[in-house]
Order: sequence, then C-alpha cells, then structure tokens
Amino acid sequence: MALSQIETDLLVIGGGSTGAGVAWDAALRGLHVTLVDRGDLATGTTGRFHGLLHSGGRYVVKDPSSARECASENLILRRVAADCIEDTGGLFVTTPVDDPAYADRFVEGCGAADIPVEEITVGAALAREPRLNPRISRAFVVPDASIDAWKTVWACVRGATARGAKVLPYHQVMSLTMTADAVTGAYLRDARSGEQLRVRARCTVNAAGAWSRRVAELAGCEVGVVPGKGIMIAMNHRVVNTVVNRCTMPGDGDIIVPIRTVSVIGTTDIPVSDPDHIDPTREEIAEMMEAGEALVPGFSQGRALRVWAGARPLFPKTTGKQVSDTREVTRSHSVLDHEALDGVGNFLTITGGKFTTFRLMAKDALDLAARKLDLSAECTTATVPLPDSESKRFYWIGARQEEMEHEAPDDPLICECELVSRGDLQAALARRSDWQLDDLRRALRIGMGPCQGGFCAFRVAATLHRDGQYDRLAANHALGAFVEERWKGVKLISWGDQLRQTRLDQWIFQGILDVEHLPK
Amino acid sequence: MSTEALAPFEVRSSLDHCIKCTVCESSCPVAAVTPLFPGPKTVGPQAERFRAGDHSPDLSVDYCSGCGICTRVCPQGVRIAEINSRARAEMKVERGIPMRDQILARPGYMGKAGRPVAPLFNWALANPVVRLLGERIVGVHRKAPVPLAASRSFSYWAGRRRRFLAPRRVVYFHGCSTQHFEPEVGKKVVAVLEHNGFQVLIPKQDCCGLPLQSNGIFGAARRYVERLATQLSVPGTEGLPVIASSTSCGLMLKKEALEILGVEDGHLAEISKRTYDLFEFLLELHERGELRTDFQPVPLTVAYHAPCQQQNQLIGKPALDLLRLVPALRLVEMDRLCCGIAGTYGTKREKYDIAMRVGEPLFADIKTASPDLVACDSETCRWQIAKATGVTAVHPLEVLYRAYGGS
Amino acid sequence: MWSTYPNDQVLPAKFWGCSGMRHDVVVIGAGLAGLTAGIRLAQEGLDVAMFATGHGALPLAPAVVDVLGYAPDRVESPRVALPSFVAQHPEHPYACLSMGVLAASLDWFKELVTPLGYTGSLERNLLLPTALGGLRPTLLAPETMAAGDLGGGGEVLIVGIASYRDFYPKLVAQNLTASAPADGRRIVARAVEVALAGDPRDLRPQLLSRRLEEPAVRSDLARSIRAELGSEAAVGIPAVLGLERSHEVWTDLQRWLERPVFEIPTIPPSLPGQRLQSLLTQLFRSFGGRLQIGNTVLGGQGANGVLESVTVAQASREISVSAGHFLLATGGVGTGGIVVDRKGIPREAVLGLPVTLAGSPSEVNPEYFGPQPVDRIGLAVDERLRPLGDDLGHLFSNLHAAGATLAGAEPWKEKSGHGISLATGFAAAAAILEERG
Repeated sequence: MALSQIETDLLVIGGGSTGAGVAWDAALRGLHVTLVDRGDLATGTTGRFHGLLHSGGRYVVKDPSSARECASENLILRRVAADCIEDTGGLFVTTPVDDPAYADRFVEGCGAADIPVEEITVGAALAREPRLNPRISRAFVVPDASIDAWKTVWACVRGATARGAKVLPYHQVMSLTMTADAVTGAYLRDARSGEQLRVRARCTVNAAGAWSRRVAELAGCEVGVVPGKGIMIAMNHRVVNTVVNRCTMPGDGDIIVPIRTVSVIGTTDIPVSDPDHIDPTREEIAEMMEAGEALVPGFSQGRALRVWAGARPLFPKTTGKQVSDTREVTRSHSVLDHEALDGVGNFLTITGGKFTTFRLMAKDALDLAARKLDLSAECTTATVPLPDSESKRFYWIGARQEEMEHEAPDDPLICECELVSRGDLQAALARRSDWQLDDLRRALRIGMGPCQGGFCAFRVAATLHRDGQYDRLAANHALGAFVEERWKGVKLISWGDQLRQTRLDQWIFQGILDVEHLPK
Repeated sequence: MSTEALAPFEVRSSLDHCIKCTVCESSCPVAAVTPLFPGPKTVGPQAERFRAGDHSPDLSVDYCSGCGICTRVCPQGVRIAEINSRARAEMKVERGIPMRDQILARPGYMGKAGRPVAPLFNWALANPVVRLLGERIVGVHRKAPVPLAASRSFSYWAGRRRRFLAPRRVVYFHGCSTQHFEPEVGKKVVAVLEHNGFQVLIPKQDCCGLPLQSNGIFGAARRYVERLATQLSVPGTEGLPVIASSTSCGLMLKKEALEILGVEDGHLAEISKRTYDLFEFLLELHERGELRTDFQPVPLTVAYHAPCQQQNQLIGKPALDLLRLVPALRLVEMDRLCCGIAGTYGTKREKYDIAMRVGEPLFADIKTASPDLVACDSETCRWQIAKATGVTAVHPLEVLYRAYGGS
Repeated sequence: MWSTYPNDQVLPAKFWGCSGMRHDVVVIGAGLAGLTAGIRLAQEGLDVAMFATGHGALPLAPAVVDVLGYAPDRVESPRVALPSFVAQHPEHPYACLSMGVLAASLDWFKELVTPLGYTGSLERNLLLPTALGGLRPTLLAPETMAAGDLGGGGEVLIVGIASYRDFYPKLVAQNLTASAPADGRRIVARAVEVALAGDPRDLRPQLLSRRLEEPAVRSDLARSIRAELGSEAAVGIPAVLGLERSHEVWTDLQRWLERPVFEIPTIPPSLPGQRLQSLLTQLFRSFGGRLQIGNTVLGGQGANGVLESVTVAQASREISVSAGHFLLATGGVGTGGIVVDRKGIPREAVLGLPVTLAGSPSEVNPEYFGPQPVDRIGLAVDERLRPLGDDLGHLFSNLHAAGATLAGAEPWKEKSGHGISLATGFAAAAAILEERG
C-alpha cells in the first residue's frame, strides 16, 4: 500500500507552545504548515508549567535581557491572547526569610527592564491577599498574570488550521528525509493506528524544546539543550488571587500562581539527562509544601491536588560548559540555523526560552525560515488576535459558574468539579472526532478538579460510547486508562483529604462499578 | 503556627475537605423539591472554587434556605451552609437587596410599628386583600405565616414586675419574637426558671441580627450582634449562663455570628461559650438532680418537632428528653428534618411553594399523629406549622409550664 | 430595669458546660457498623447514644450486603470459600468471627429490615449488574434489585431515563451481553432510553426519585417502557425508584410491565442506600437510641484500662459524655476514621489509637487497580473486637471497634464491605451485652 503523503512549506516538529506559535505565525504569513507531535498537543513542557505569564520581574536582577523580553511579550499577549489570560496582577513580597537588600535591586532592575512596578504598603498587600504572610516587610505590584497554556496552544492551532495548516497530534517523527545537504521532510508514524506517512517540506523547524536534541540527532546535528526539571504542586483552591513571588533571587518554591480553579506552587530546577523521566520525589514535594509557608502561612495544611514535573529546554549559550546549576542558564531563546552550524540546509532548531516568550520565539524562527523560503511577509502575531480573543476581554475565573447558573438544569454537568457540561463535551466532539479521554481533559479540564475523575470519568466514557465515538471495549479501556493516568499525579501526594478522595474514587470504580471485572 | 494562621479562613478553606461524596445533596430538603436549587455541594464547596474578585458568579445560591442541614450531615467537616451564606451575601450586595428583604430582616421594626395599633395592624395582616397587595408590591407571599403584634412588649412587662431575688442567677436572652409577638412565652420562661430557684436578669436587648444575616445584609447584622453582645455583658453578669428561648437567635450567639459573619468581638466570643438553649439548660439541671420535677399530669398528645437551628446547636433534643418526664403526656417525635420556613425564606413570594413542599412530609406526619398541640422551639417554625396544619403550635416550654401547674 | 448587678453570687465558672450525661453505651459513627451495633444494643433495652461527625457511607452505597465476592477469583459460595479465605488472611476482620456469628448477623439483618425485602444466603452469591454492565457478586440484595441476579443468564431490557446523567443503558447492555455468568449461560441484554414528559434535561436523583413516587409519572414511565418491550424476561432500570415509597413504585412497575423489574445501582448518591439508612436510623430511634449527627467526638478520657468518657463538640462548647461501654465505628481511611498526615503517618482519628498494617509511606502501588497498602490499614482487635495496643493487649476493657476502622481487609477488591460492617457491628454488640452480663 502506498504511503500517504503530505506536501507542505513548513514542517514543525513539536506541538508545544513554540511549535503552535510557529504554526500560527507561519500560517499568518501565508505558508502551508504541518505541525506534528508524538503525543497530544501541549503535553510536554507547555502542559506542565505553572501558568505564569511573567511580567519579567522574576529575572530583573539575574537575567535582565530575559526580563526585558518577558515585559514586552507580556504586553503583546495581553492584546492578542486575552481570552487565555487572567489579569491577576503579581506581587513581589519580602518575607522574613528573604534578604531585605534584594528589594532595592529588584526595583532598580524593573526600571531598567521597563517593567511597571509600584511599591504598596504591607497593609495594602494584605488587604488584597488576606492569606499572605503578615510578616512581610515590603510588597511590590507588577503586571504578572496567569495564562492557560492549553487554551493558548489550541487557539494558535485553530487559527493556523483555519488558514490551511495541517495538525497531526499523536504522530511521531521516525526519521528525517535528507538530501546530501538538506532536510526534505520526515517519515511519521501514527501512534494510534500504526500507519506511516510521509511529509515533504521545503523547510523543517525543530520545536521539540527539551526533546530537540533527539530531533536534531535525526539529521545528524547536535543541539546542546539541557532539560531542567521543575516540580509543581496544584493546590485544591485559590489561596491567593494574585500571583505572589518572593522578592529574592530565583529559588525553589518561591512563587504561587492562581490559575483557573487552583493555585500552583513552583518550582525547582534540576538538570536531568532525559526529559521523559522526571518524576517528582517525596523530598521535593515536602520541600515545596514547606516553602509555601513563607508566602502563605498554613499553606502546607491545604489540600494538594496533584503534583507533576516539567522539563525546561535550557540552552546554555556558552557552549562546551558543563551545566551543574541550571538556574544559572539564561532563560532567553536561540534559533539555530543548522545550515550554518552543521551544513544541513532547510532545518532550524528553536530552543531555550519560556512560555511567556513563545510568540517571540516563533517570530525569530520564522524570520529565519522566511529568508530560506524567500518569503517577504512580515510577522503579524503581535497584532492579530488569536481566535476567541478578538474581544480582548480577559478570562474570568467565575465565567463557568456564571454560565452554569444560566444553563442548569437543561445541560447536565458531567464534570462537577470543573463545571463541564454535556453540551461542552458534545461541542468538543463536534470539533474533533479522535479524542482520547486525556485529551478531553486538557481541552475542557474534565477530571482536573478535586475528585480527579472519580465521578466524571464514568460519565465521559459512557457518553462517548452512547454517542458512538467509542465501542464497548474502547469505553471500558478509556475509563481505566484515564484513572490510571490521573493516579500518576496523585499517588505521591496521597495524604489527608486527597487520600480520602482517592479512597472514595477507588470505592466507586472497584466497589460500585467493579471496573476490574468487565468482560473482555 | 499554621493552624492559627488558618483560623480566619476556616470557612472557605474547609472546601478542601469536600470529596464530592453527595451526602449533603441527598440530605438537602430544598434540592429534594425543586430543580431551582442545584444542591448544597453545587453552590457550596464546588462553586466556591470559582469565586474570586469583586463580581459574584452566583444566582441559585439564593434558593438555599440556610437550614444548615448540609453542614450537620457532612462527614468531612465542610462548612457548606456557611460558605453558602457568605456567597449569598456577596451576591445580594452586588445585585441589590430588595425592600422586602430589608423589612423582613428587621422584625423589630414591624413589631414596634404594629404595637401601638396592634388590633388594626393584626386585622390588616389577616386581611386577604391587604396580603395580596403585600405580595404584589412587597413580595411577601399572601399565604405566608406572619406573626401578630402584641399590644405590650415583653420588656414592658419585665420592667414592671416585682423582682425575684435568688442566689443563683441567669441572664435571659429573649429575642425579638418574645419581645414583640409572643411575650407570653417569655413570661412563662421567667416563671419556670424562677420556679427552679433562679433569679432571671433581663438586660435591655435588641435584635441579634440573624434575619439580617440570613437575608445577606452582613454589615448591619454585624453591628446588631455586636450591640447585643455588649447589652448582654452588663457589668455584674460576668460568667452567668445566658439562656435563649429562641433557638435560631441562640445559635446566632453560639456560632453563626462568629462563623458566618466572622465577628471578632471579644464580648461575643465569651458570651457564645456560656449561651444555652433553654431546654439544654433545664436538661442539664435535671441531670444534676437540680430540676424540680413536681410535674402534674398533662393529658395531651403533643407532636414534637426539633427545628433545624436547634439541631444545629448539636445538643440533641433536650426538650424531648425533659417532656418525657411529664406524666400523662403523650409525646410523638416527628422524625423530619425541616418545616421549610427557614426564618423568613418561606414567606417570600418566589419561595413560598418550595417551603411548603419542604415541610409537606412533616405536615403529613403531624396530621397522621393528630395531636392536641405541636411543640417546636423555634418561633417561625411554629407559625409555619400552625398555618400549614391548623394545629396549635407552642414552644415546648409552654407544655412544661403547664406541667408545673401553670395555665 | 436593671443596669448593673451585684457581683457577689456568681456561679462557679465550671458549673456549666460539663454535663453529667451518662449512657450505657456510646457509639461513635453512624454508618452500617455503628447502626447495627446501636440497634442491637437498644433492642436489648440499653441506653445507647450515637455521635457522628456526619452521615456514614450508607447514603452513597448501593445497599447490597457483600460478604465475599473475590478471593481473588470470583466466589460462588461464601460459605464454602470463607474458611480457607480466613485461614489465608489471619489479620482479616472475618478472622475474629465465627461463621455462626456471620450467619446470625445476616439473618438478623434480613428480619430487621423486612420492609426492604432483602434476599440472599451464604450459600450462593448473587450476580447483579453494575452501572457499567459488569456482573458483581454480592450476598444480600433488597427486593428492588434481587431480580437482577443474572447468575443463570437470561434476556433483559436495560432502560435508561434521559434526564438522569448517571446511567448509560447502551454500555450496560453491551457489557452484560458480553459477560459470561456461568458455564453455558448467556445474557442477552438490549438497551432503551426513555424520557419522562416535562422533565428538564438534568434531574438530580433526589428529585427524579420523588417524581417517580407520583403515580402518574411512573405510569407514564411504564407506558414508555412497555412500548419498547420485547420478549425480555426482566427489566433493569437505574436505582432511582423512589425513596419512601420505593416498594409502591417498584411493585407498580412490575405489575404494569408484567415481569420482574430490578434496580441497578450507580455512582453516588444512592437511593437504595438512603432507604436503608433511613430505615436503620428510624429503627434505632424507635428502640430508644439517641442519634446525634454533626457532633464530632474529639477525644476520650480513661484510666486503669477503662475508657471513662469522650469529649463531644457542640456548636459553642465541648461536653464530656461518659458510658459503660464505647464502640468505635468511624470507618477507615475513606471516611475519616483513620487519617494519614503529610509524612504518610496514619492514626486513628478520635482516640489516637495505634493502627496496624501501616507500611512505610512510600508504599503506594503505582498501579491504580493493584492492591493499595493503605486500604488494609486499621485497628487490630482481640476476639472481642477490642482494639489492641502495641503490646497486643487490649487498650481499654470497655472499648470495642467495628466496621471499616478494623485492619486487614480490602473491602472494595474483595467485595466484603457491608458484610464486615454488619458482622463486626453485630459481634461487638454481642460482646458488650455479654460483658454487661
């Protein structure tokens, strides 16, 4: 049987924020793009960060150029991706354990990086965030915000698709096709069906982030990216509604981000060799919970909902140096032209960077790709709003509750924790037919609340069966696979309330539904 | 350190204990009768995760009657009813508080306004045309039970009677209903306490603010309860038991003002620890062997209903325990959760039918028992039950008073 | 009117708030274990007070009584399987009981809850459909579920109600049809979804069950089902057939459909569970028991091996309640009887008793459906169900424990939950009665 073939201008490998940003930028410039990822979109580092849209404040002392980039990208994304952003604002506070001298350097750095900063009284900070440590000595307001990574990536992809882009999640690059001096495309394998497929591309962008070394190796090129492991813990509700940072040199557990219904504390930074093996450890979790106490007293008594780790793609610009402390590596990004570096044409790697600067990363990569493709179109991603952000209205945490109040009782809630209705589910099914339960989770937040799928997994799997998406075995399997997947992020934080929740969930699955003994 | 740090945030933080188990949903009397209320979990710990900032996303929390059963039955310790009360207050502040609720929240105004012209006032309240207008214009359901104004207030009576002096003394917190609508209850409370050798101190006192709180008017409610705490802390009464004959007002002092309103008044925190429901106090006396049991037979069938706010004091059913001692009295315990009225909830035009449906099983059981009297410790519940069943409803104290030979 | 009072005759500060309340027995926890023991003791004329933070798991649970369903293969006859199961699991709560006590508790229960018509026996497990269409072994089922026993195969119609989000008949029917109940037996199941006129798209089970208590609504339902009925021998329907009048609803449907109707339990809340809870609490009260829901027991006071009193939280105070005997029936990790802290250290929640089978905190099975060590954590008890200390002697001569708070079971995997609660609650009551002489 002949292989399916795709002809495209630009093949983008990696469906995280960078790859999605590249696809969106390229589509706006009129290129035909094909975006591929070995899994679902935004399941690598993008889907595993705390959701902070940096003001740049975090880097003003340590990494001023990165701070400056963050500051300007923050402003741009507020214009073009408003629907994905909650304008929480940010606070930098000097806690009793922080060096009080840092605050003045912080203010100075903000000035140098053009980051608007305002010092407020401790009383004003506590009025704004009542659970903040009352023993803080100084507080500064900066334009931090929280941003929904999945929503942003899907918006980029929807925009690109509307302009002809082809998006292939669950397609792994098996090999790159090459002539003597250039990459000409790739062979892909559909992870679900096993089918192979060939893409012919005029130019290929390696946007695989922490995994970009592996992709580059397929073309015989070397990319010195160092994955930096960071763990994050989502707490069951928002203990703060403003991003709160310790006003100190970046360290472990120094930031709490209110994102959607949870607050995420992060993070650590540990160099690792394999970005696929970054499980959090009990010690890291314990340290993170304790670290939260400095910002929010009583933090460690709250209910931890889930723990996970992400792998930052850190790219040390001074090559050849052994990286022992990844915090010392710049958070700026680099575009590597493998023609100049390795003699391999039509192949670029974009790496380093951070979610806040994904648009700029895409632009820089595309500017280079455009030169190779003799394309004169300029980047317009700084001005063209993403789909659903046209109104430039920021996301509001109460939106789903408000919507539910108007829809009930005529649209049954399927996921009660995150307020996903049957209507929402069916709308998602209408957009795309090949959902895994876990993809629906990222798209709709199904199963992301306190019960972690205990009640909704059954409803979703059975609804997909009822509506003909799944056959019997697929539904049975999906249910089990979903809760197994959820268990990964819960097993290490099984204590207190969350442990009790896992027992109730298991009782539902094993005790009531007897999932283990369904007919094969 | 961190436990203390959490204390002011205890109500909201308690949502962390919710494991979505549905116990509260299956016990909620309102969600069982109307789809307009999606249930305590839905508007409580579930919705609370979506609340932040200045704008309230809520609507249906308005249909929570505030009976508090959800908090009582929650095995995980989630402060469901308290979360809901706060959310309702936020919502009402934003959407505006109707004039009707402002009036209902201040029973003292109605009592004071009605007293000088009690006959006319009471005639008007009984007049269907006036009530229909009241429903149309104000929004109080035309069939809702409303109390009649007494022509003399309880404090008027108390201030003019001869003092009974005794070494053992208690403070009596009579509440608005005794003051304005049912002074007879207060007189009998005093008689029973004096019969047991207590000197009853009755400091000047105003409303505890509970109706304001349940109508979402928190600012005024805080002022009211703090004023009351000061009034009840008259010098010379330090450490004395404060006896409440209104169960809902008693619960306000014991718990709700501290938990729901977050009042941090020192007087209140201290008083809450020595506030007793009347029958809780009497039963305790009995358990010490200090209650007079010179009961005369009361040959009546009495159906006893324990109101929600009495149950929420978590003291069991002391009235039932005590009245069991009365000879010839046939007591029938009503094993139902709620009569529906929930303070002022069931008087509102849009909630009257819901409240009646909530109370329906209780009313049916009462009719089956065909008692001579219904006894219930809460005034608004008595009015609701009497109106719905046609059976005279009294404070259980009245039965005890009879047993002591009163008439 | 007074304004100030002389300050000479104030009562002693501790005079109030230390109640002299004393009972024969205090039961802590109001789940199946606590209610079973409470009813048994109250039936014998004891003054029993029951305190619980909130409701137990009854209103969530399907209301079937499991005794032993898997060991680890599916158990056909618990009477046959139990002796070797107990021999292999000496730490299991069943190891504290004789088969006679277990059988007696089941017989007692069936008679106690006559209005709910429980059937089944230790000889043979029933095989009842789950809401996913699995076949689940259990021992006793209420009348409204019993006809769902598909151990012998059969042809059934599975009916969904459109406004009820927790039941999906097509999946149930397909899984049932693929099931193999026993050698040579087959199940043929067909699915149909019916709508009740005038319902919104989503009706919570509490409302739906009450709707069906209206004769007109259930006859409407029966009409819709009849229109779809074929040659099926029985009709399965989600377990929402009324609360207080479930017998009427179920009987009417059977009459109108002219064949057995069975309820299929689904995820919480559970109407059958609420019916059972409501009946048990009514019975407890009717025998003179005092039930106080909402009162957390904070701790206890004892001396010389005797527990003298427990501290009970009220709205604004704590009181001390004393008793001759105490029963701890607060449940396990799932219901809060055992709590595990952030360091992974478990403790019994009320009295801080030592727990057993508590491995190291890192013992989490990465396989979700594999055995989870935490499930077996609980109290070790002697043959009279008295909690043991670290030295393996009982801690208090008058403190007993029953139900999920006991160590050694994996109730959800074994399908033994309610059976353990019922049998140990019953046995604990017997021990207390015996000790009182």
